[in-house]
Amino acid sequence: MGPPALDPDEFLEQLKAEHRVLSWEPLPPDQPRRAPHGDQSRTAASLRYLHGHWALPDSFDPADAGGGVRGRTVGVFGRLTYRVLGRYLREERELLAHMVRVNDALEKRCDELAARCQQLDDDMLTRQAAEAANLAKLAIWLHLEPPGAATAPAAAPNGSAGRATTDGSPPPP
Amino acid sequence: MNGPAPSPGSTGRTVAAVLVPHWESKTEEGWLTRQVAGSLACATEVHVITPDGTGARASTDGPFTVHRTGTPLRPEAEARRDYLVASMAATGPTGDGPLPVGAAAVLDRDLLEPWSAAGGVLAALRPDLVVVADHRSVGALAAVDRVAPELPVTLVALGSDLDSLGFPHYRPVFDRAGTVLAVTESERRAIADRHGGADRVVRIGAPLAANPSARSEPNTWVGDTEYVFVVSGSASDAHDEEAELTRLLRLRFPDNPVGIAHTDTFCAWHRGRVEEGWAIERSSDMARLMAWARVTVDLRGGRLFARRSVESLLYGTPIIVPADSRAREHAERGRGGLWFADAAELTWCVEALLQPTTRAALSTQGRAYAEDEYGSTDRFIARVLDGCGLSAAGAPVNA
Repeated sequence: MGPPALDPDEFLEQLKAEHRVLSWEPLPPDQPRRAPHGDQSRTAASLRYLHGHWALPDSFDPADAGGGVRGRTVGVFGRLTYRVLGRYLREERELLAHMVRVNDALEKRCDELAARCQQLDDDMLTRQAAEAANLAKLAIWLHLEPPGAATAPAAAPNGSAGRATTDGSPPPP
Repeated sequence: MNGPAPSPGSTGRTVAAVLVPHWESKTEEGWLTRQVAGSLACATEVHVITPDGTGARASTDGPFTVHRTGTPLRPEAEARRDYLVASMAATGPTGDGPLPVGAAAVLDRDLLEPWSAAGGVLAALRPDLVVVADHRSVGALAAVDRVAPELPVTLVALGSDLDSLGFPHYRPVFDRAGTVLAVTESERRAIADRHGGADRVVRIGAPLAANPSARSEPNTWVGDTEYVFVVSGSASDAHDEEAELTRLLRLRFPDNPVGIAHTDTFCAWHRGRVEEGWAIERSSDMARLMAWARVTVDLRGGRLFARRSVESLLYGTPIIVPADSRAREHAERGRGGLWFADAAELTWCVEALLQPTTRAALSTQGRAYAEDEYGSTDRFIARVLDGCGLSAAGAPVNA
């Protein structure tokens, strides 16, 4: 059994009749959505660690050698090793210092961008609300003065309809 | 009705001469004329006579012998005729009122002489039947009457323009025809209302078919299904009414994919984003887009019988068309869609057809109508032959 028969003529008349009643309203502004874990970066603990530990050891600590003959021997080799690797270790320390500074800058930039996004979001919501208000004015005007009716008053800026009175006096505020 | 007695043609079959201003198949009118000639070829030896060409010559074109006299109708003369008819129909005489003095000569200027050589071809062929394509072919009818005024004439009206269809200057063409072939019911009714003789005006439809391969897999330009397919005769950056309507549709229905076939490009819109592609050139691409759409919105309206709208119905896709277009008949009489008079009604119609129950009902109804009136080549051939007073007996089995 196929779908019930539908007469396009009757259907269109019904459609037009339904739409003659204005059932339009402006969309309400969207609810702002906040980030679930706040807008600041969550790397504070790691950054603190970086700040406190970027300077790696660049010399041999005699306490690591231990005591006795063995300790003295380990100490000699330890000091020798650090002396050989001294330049590398100094370069590495410099690199780490720059990386920490870059990370700091990135975090600051991320926070600025997050704040900017939030500001844009708020600006957009404000604009949506203004557009909705403007459209509401238009809907009211169209409802009172449908297209094709007597001469419509010219629209003032922002779409607010100024209605001229019959005696030529200025429209009410 | 008994057919004409066979004349001593080359094959012993009845000889039919088809007089056509332009032998082509790019337009709906040209395509339909070719289909009529093809139907005649099932029972007769068909000779096409046209003023086209650069020199007088005869050639073979499939089952037809085409006689080109090399005296083509000038496009300026045809355009002048059309403009004059439109302006006089809008402001001048209606019904049986006389034309202004000298108007007939201006209308026919440069449109009669090109047909003079056709008389010689007709005299040599000695056809049993003459079919004249286009009710404005006054020159063709004059050529027939010079040679054989007693010959039965069938007229393929090609009434794309209802103004000229009812124009008094072309009444003699309708009066001379024993049978008038019309494609749609609105064309048939217009002819019968203006020129009478409803019993000799025959509606023949057109031989169309749904390409089965179009339903095998969707064209993914827009999406699999659930999209609105819009056919526009405007460029994507135009600012005419059609272009504005396409913009309205893609703004009004952001949650549904909307595929718009412009003249210069194809745009697939969804949620404010667009993907652009090449303009549709292949009929198979158009068929697939229509076959898988939720609804086809044809803003062009169609000329003679709105072929695209009929094809959409054959695929089971309902249509939305302009209220003043030829395609409205398929939506209204065929109950296969809706029509609109302004932008607001257009959006209401699309919104309604996005409802599954409404869509299903119109799809079923429209497909049944399209298959019955346009979906059978055999029925088309039978209607043409019957309208021309011919019998299909003895016609090839695959006709």
